[in-house]
Amino acid sequence: MPSHLTLLSPLRPPCSTRTWLSAPHPTLPLLATASSDRTVRVYSLTSFTLLSTISGGHKRSIRTCAWKPGTKGESVLATGSFDASAGIWRKWERGSSGLVRDPDDIDGGGDYDGGEDEEDEYNFSVLLDGHDSEIKSVAWSSGGQYLATCSRDKTVWIWEELEDDNFETIAVLNEHEGDVKFVCWHPSEDLLASSSYDDTVRLYKEDLDDWTAVACLSGHEGTVWCVDFEGDKPRVGLKDGKELSEEQKKFIEERERSGPRLASSSDDMTIRIWRRRTREGQNGTSSHDRIPSILKSNSIEEDWYEEAQLPKTHDRAIYAVSWSKKSGLIVSTGSDGKILVYQERWKSPKETTESHSPGAESMDVDKLSISTATEWVIIAEVEGAHDVFEVNHVNWARRYDRGRRNDEEEVIITTGDDGEVKVWTLDHD
Amino acid sequence: MSDIQLYLFEFDRNKKEATQIAEQSAKRLESKELKLIDLIESLGEYLNSEDGSIRAKTISYLSEVLTAVPNKVLSGQQRNLLLEFTLSRIADDGAGIASCARSLIALEGKGQWDQERAKSIMTTLMAHTHPLRQYKLQAERYAVLTLIDLLMSKYRTAIENVHSSSPDFMSQFISYFDGEKDPRNLMVVFSILRVPMSEWDIRSHANDLFESVFNYFPITFRPPPDDPYGITAQDLKDRLRSCIASTGDFAPYSFPALLDKLDSTALNTKRDVLQALKSCVMEYGARTVSLYSVTLWDALKFEILNVQDEDLAEEALQSLAEIARQLSLNSTGALNAYLRPVIKECNEHLEDAPTKQSQAAGRMLQAICSVSEMASSMIIQAVVPNIFTLYQTAHSVAKRRGLIEVLVQLIKSNIEVYGDWRKLGISGRDSIELSSSNIMAKYKDQSLECMLSAISTSPIKEVSFRRVNLDGLLNITKVRNLLSDDDISKVISVLHDIIIHEESYGQDELKASAIQALVDIAHQKPQLIIDKAFPAFMARLPDTDSDGTLYVPILEAFAKLSGEEKVFKTVVLRLWNKLHSCIQQGASVSYVTALLSAILYTFTHGSPNVKAIEAGSYYDDLVLPLSKLVSSSLESGLFEDEQILDLVGRICNYIVRPQTSEFQSRISSHIYNHLDGTPQEMLPPFNTNATIQKRRRMIVSTHLLAALRRDVSLQYSSLPLLQALIQFSTVEDLSPKVRAATLRQISIITNKYIVTADLKSTISSILFEPEGLISRFGLSSISIRITFAFAKPILYRNGAIINSIFQYLLEMLDSKESGATVARGFSTLLAPDDILTKENHCIISSLHKQKAFSLLIPHLASSFRSADITTKKNYLIAASGILQWLSYTIIEPELQSLLPLLLQSLDLQGEEEVKEASLSTLLSILAQNPKVVEEHASSVITRLLSITATKTNPSKLRRESLKCLGIIPNQLKTETILPYRREVLKRLTAALDDGKRSVRKEAVSCRSKWSELDEVGEDDD
Amino acid sequence: MDPDKDNANPTIINPSDLPSRRGISEVKKRDDGGTGLFDHLVPAYSYLNDPFDQPLSSSDSEDETVEAIDEQEIYDLIATISDPEHPLSLGSLAVVNLPDIHIQPPTSSRSNISTVLVEITPTITHCSLATVIGLGVRVRLEQALPPRFRVDVRIKKGTHSTDEAVNKQLGDKERVAAALENGTLMGVLRRMLATCK
Repeated sequence: MPSHLTLLSPLRPPCSTRTWLSAPHPTLPLLATASSDRTVRVYSLTSFTLLSTISGGHKRSIRTCAWKPGTKGESVLATGSFDASAGIWRKWERGSSGLVRDPDDIDGGGDYDGGEDEEDEYNFSVLLDGHDSEIKSVAWSSGGQYLATCSRDKTVWIWEELEDDNFETIAVLNEHEGDVKFVCWHPSEDLLASSSYDDTVRLYKEDLDDWTAVACLSGHEGTVWCVDFEGDKPRVGLKDGKELSEEQKKFIEERERSGPRLASSSDDMTIRIWRRRTREGQNGTSSHDRIPSILKSNSIEEDWYEEAQLPKTHDRAIYAVSWSKKSGLIVSTGSDGKILVYQERWKSPKETTESHSPGAESMDVDKLSISTATEWVIIAEVEGAHDVFEVNHVNWARRYDRGRRNDEEEVIITTGDDGEVKVWTLDHD
Repeated sequence: MSDIQLYLFEFDRNKKEATQIAEQSAKRLESKELKLIDLIESLGEYLNSEDGSIRAKTISYLSEVLTAVPNKVLSGQQRNLLLEFTLSRIADDGAGIASCARSLIALEGKGQWDQERAKSIMTTLMAHTHPLRQYKLQAERYAVLTLIDLLMSKYRTAIENVHSSSPDFMSQFISYFDGEKDPRNLMVVFSILRVPMSEWDIRSHANDLFESVFNYFPITFRPPPDDPYGITAQDLKDRLRSCIASTGDFAPYSFPALLDKLDSTALNTKRDVLQALKSCVMEYGARTVSLYSVTLWDALKFEILNVQDEDLAEEALQSLAEIARQLSLNSTGALNAYLRPVIKECNEHLEDAPTKQSQAAGRMLQAICSVSEMASSMIIQAVVPNIFTLYQTAHSVAKRRGLIEVLVQLIKSNIEVYGDWRKLGISGRDSIELSSSNIMAKYKDQSLECMLSAISTSPIKEVSFRRVNLDGLLNITKVRNLLSDDDISKVISVLHDIIIHEESYGQDELKASAIQALVDIAHQKPQLIIDKAFPAFMARLPDTDSDGTLYVPILEAFAKLSGEEKVFKTVVLRLWNKLHSCIQQGASVSYVTALLSAILYTFTHGSPNVKAIEAGSYYDDLVLPLSKLVSSSLESGLFEDEQILDLVGRICNYIVRPQTSEFQSRISSHIYNHLDGTPQEMLPPFNTNATIQKRRRMIVSTHLLAALRRDVSLQYSSLPLLQALIQFSTVEDLSPKVRAATLRQISIITNKYIVTADLKSTISSILFEPEGLISRFGLSSISIRITFAFAKPILYRNGAIINSIFQYLLEMLDSKESGATVARGFSTLLAPDDILTKENHCIISSLHKQKAFSLLIPHLASSFRSADITTKKNYLIAASGILQWLSYTIIEPELQSLLPLLLQSLDLQGEEEVKEASLSTLLSILAQNPKVVEEHASSVITRLLSITATKTNPSKLRRESLKCLGIIPNQLKTETILPYRREVLKRLTAALDDGKRSVRKEAVSCRSKWSELDEVGEDDD
Repeated sequence: MDPDKDNANPTIINPSDLPSRRGISEVKKRDDGGTGLFDHLVPAYSYLNDPFDQPLSSSDSEDETVEAIDEQEIYDLIATISDPEHPLSLGSLAVVNLPDIHIQPPTSSRSNISTVLVEITPTITHCSLATVIGLGVRVRLEQALPPRFRVDVRIKKGTHSTDEAVNKQLGDKERVAAALENGTLMGVLRRMLATCK
């Protein structure tokens, strides 16, 4: 393998029971881990130690959590629990501009640690209830304006925070026919994706202040556990390296127009890449202008198709997939305890001819050539990442610790049934 | 002041005082100081008082006087006067009703009433005190009820006349008791009402009467903590039930009402109903029952077909049987009518056997079939043929099994009715003519043939199926006069074929039950077993095992037959003859060992005829020849094998020890020469350089010596004998077993043959005095062992000198060289013993464990603390050596000081046995008195966890510690251990993966105990 | 018949026909073919073997031999679970059967994750309690097996009207986890598992 994963450090102390998911803070070296012991543990990504334990808000397992982006001077965390409620927690960040800090002053100014004084506690500020059963996932829209929650009750709710601590339900979307397992927002548009026990992924948009489903992505043959969008811009990956051929330039341009793709991982042991089909007469920039154009209003339906499947290497359910917004790499993990890192690369011409990606049949000819111009390869793999235990979640996070090599460097964070949260580095050899 | 004034004055202040005053008056009446008439007059003004309570007290005075007055004092005429007076009071004044009743009772005690009188009293009561509930005090009502009860029991006919002469009496009588709630009163009411119910013609009032008691059904009552009357709910239930069951006239009301309540969901109600139904069936009589039999069947069968609660099903079953029993007393017609639906339904259920309901059907048939010849015949001839037809067409073995199961149940019921070969059945029939009257005779051949072939033709993996058939065969052989001896012989041969020829499979359940079956048949038909089975077994036992036949299974089976007394002697003799010829044929050591084991087994586990043994008849048959074998040194060398010698010894011991002293003295002087005439001085223990062979015989001698009674003289006085034994035990090249045997002889003699007076002197001269053991051998391993060989028997007989011995041993624990050896010795002190036993006539003080504990443990605990690091260990070893044999109650007082010791011993490296012992002690403490462990919770839990986690520990140890860990959640306070829960659960996952299955099993149950912990209490929906 | 039960009259297997470990090995171990009837005639604590002569370690040689977790052991773990509507064990109702238990060894040399697949057979095809039973089995195994085992519980093909749906539920880790936090359901499960020794 071209690269390999190295365990940088586990987070200490571990939780004594199953941990579900870990969310890195958008701007601070913090990591929040949702645990079945009804707490959220906040660890430092510089010292890899426990800073504080948030508890008391939920009556059952905390399944998920998410930091609100773009907050100033305070941190806001949303939690979702099996007790069917979501919680909003706030904490003032002393002396933190809320902007990313320069790593050097991390060394200089000593490790960032949330401090343990009273006013540094996370306070439970709002309880959002309405769902009939367990909440499985929560997600903030890129602007932080909306919060999406989903539940076993088959619905996705969108909440809007009018002013502080006053949340209003602006949409209850019940498209799915089974538990909604995961929700995820488009990196730039107000486009929401949800994945479900009914084997589908669905996309939603606001159509004249009314949220509706705009697409249904079917193809998976089992529960879709997790979805993640590709980074918005620049979508690197294919650009690095040598001079591109004309065809390749055209290919990239084409892809830019269809906007970030979506990766979905499933119980059927596959990870699929979905891509939006661009409309005739619609320039691909649609994804960037915020004003809905009259054109679109006649139909906001979107057409997404399966562009590729990642190499099948997992031999049990794939619980999580994460698409690096920086490197364009994808990492996945699941019940088999493996961590896999995938990279997209150009195919050499001869390959282009013979190979065909799964689902190719369903596509018309011109797409075919494009969709098969690239291929995904596994560049790193770890077995038994959490000893014999299942790994429930994986994602990319910015690297903060002393060992960090450059601003862009990322680490991979895995969260397991053994209560361990582990930080891995990816090294290219 | 007149008595009445005083009485009234005292009444509320001091009731006793008042009563005495009344008794005074009674005395004065007796002594004629006071005239009755004056007494009555003195009451006058108070009886007219406005205040009811005054009037009541006045009457109470009178009643107390009358109660106190001895018989004969009052003339008949006076009594009549008083009676009239009292009745008039009852008639026109409610106050003091209780006292009136008491007065009447008192008067009745002084002279029988005539019929008229009784009537008038009853009518007065009815006329003026109806309904009784108008009296609010239960004591008041109780007095009246007692009076009525008296009338009912002593003047039955009189009251019955009231009933028969005045038609409206009964309804008034019934309503009289309405609304009684007090349990004590109810007891009386029920017994009052039972009289008319069971004895009078109350047909026209049946419904009301029934209702009046059934209102209380199902009755429940929780007696107050200090109930003065000691009435239990059961008493009430029983009385009420006997009322309901009192007369067949109730049937039209009781059966529907009861069956209605049977649908209740409350188990207790159902239970009451079922019991009531049963007694109704018993009491109402065949004719009445026959009217309802089918209705009852329809209701009761459900309790059995869908069992909710086993004991309810049992009740229902009994009722069904009871119905049949009642109807059997009557015409066949009634029984037939009842059984028709029963048989129909059961036969239907049999069609889809084996199911819950087909099993239920079997139960019902068996129950009903067992009650009478008539029922038995009807059912068997209706069901058995059906079973066979279904059997023929059945495709699955499971189904066939289900069917045979029912057949077997019917056969068992047949034994109930017609008895087995040793005792008569309920039919009371005997003699051959029985075989004709028992309907089963018609099907015996078919049954026999079917079950025999089922066993011999079906594959051996069909365990349950073959077992059922075997069970059936066994039972059918038992039925009195049913099978011919030839038939039974067929069964027997099938059985021993299974035992002898069949290859072993699974848990060999079938072989096991086959053997048991032979034993049972031997109980019925001993001679048949001896004639048919024994030769078969013997034929399979080779004279020499050179051909490699597996003789052990045969021997085991054969030995088990000795379980039946009637064949015991034969078993022994056959075994002995076999042994004899084997020795001739030069069989191997292991074969002879097996044969001897079999013989020993017959004595220890069989049912030997104790008299025969005591009469010594086995002495000549076994002991003498065995001794001869021991002393005759065969070239085969068989009897030089230590295990064989041990077995021989044990057999002799078993036979010799019950003999009388006279008898025993025959061998008491041949303990060492085994009757081969050699002067014993030339043999061990006296001759220390005897040949190996001769030395080995000490093993047998030990058992002989052990068998002797205390008053048998040994030919040697104990001191020299002990000296000799000590000397002999120190011989260098002694085999371990022989040395052990020798040491045991020391123990035996010390316990049995030193009179208490000499004990101290003898022992101290041997052990301590200048020339004593210690000084001669120093603290060598052998001297330590000899010391313990003395210590144990002395401890057992509770000899005073034990203190100094213990003191010595305790001091030795501190020795760097031998401390460890001494420490181990302590575990021998209380270890169970197969030589020093009551059966061997040893002195065993019931207090010896207690004594060892109190003498040793506190000392060990304290010196452990002070001991230096190198020897600390010794104290732990010694302590756990003692503790492991002690029951919790003994160690309780020292728990506090013990626990630290125990916990520390769990850390000992490489001392598995010690740890094991400590764990078992810890376990009993946890079980008995968890409180003391609370404070040590954390160190206990961590230690146990680490023991389970240490793979180098033997699996038994890992298992035991999991056991301890497993009971902690139930024993310790939740708040104490909850903090450890997650830790424990996490670390136990390792044990779930232990290399040993048994450990994993323990880990699983342990872990689930812990995981249940927190779920307790916290629940949100 | 009892209406509020799915199957009030199930077929029952006789205990001695249920597969058992001892049935497989132990008895066979004795090469003399006997059952060890005479073994204890001479008591273990017989005077002939006393603590001074014996080496202390009681660790028997078998202690070295490792007994792997096999199908029979899995069976023993779940056969004793009692049916939610009968006072009977899943084993005796043939809801769980030895042949329907499969252990798959680790897929690669680097991994040591084994998989246990248990296929359960509901007493009747429309048994509404299939899910609860399956859940009971899964919970029991997750509590009793070391974490290196992945537990898959499925309804045996064609034995249940909605087996696919049930399988999907039983396979859903998240749902199972949530179910275990549901007091009422846990109550039922605890009663079912109470009979596991």
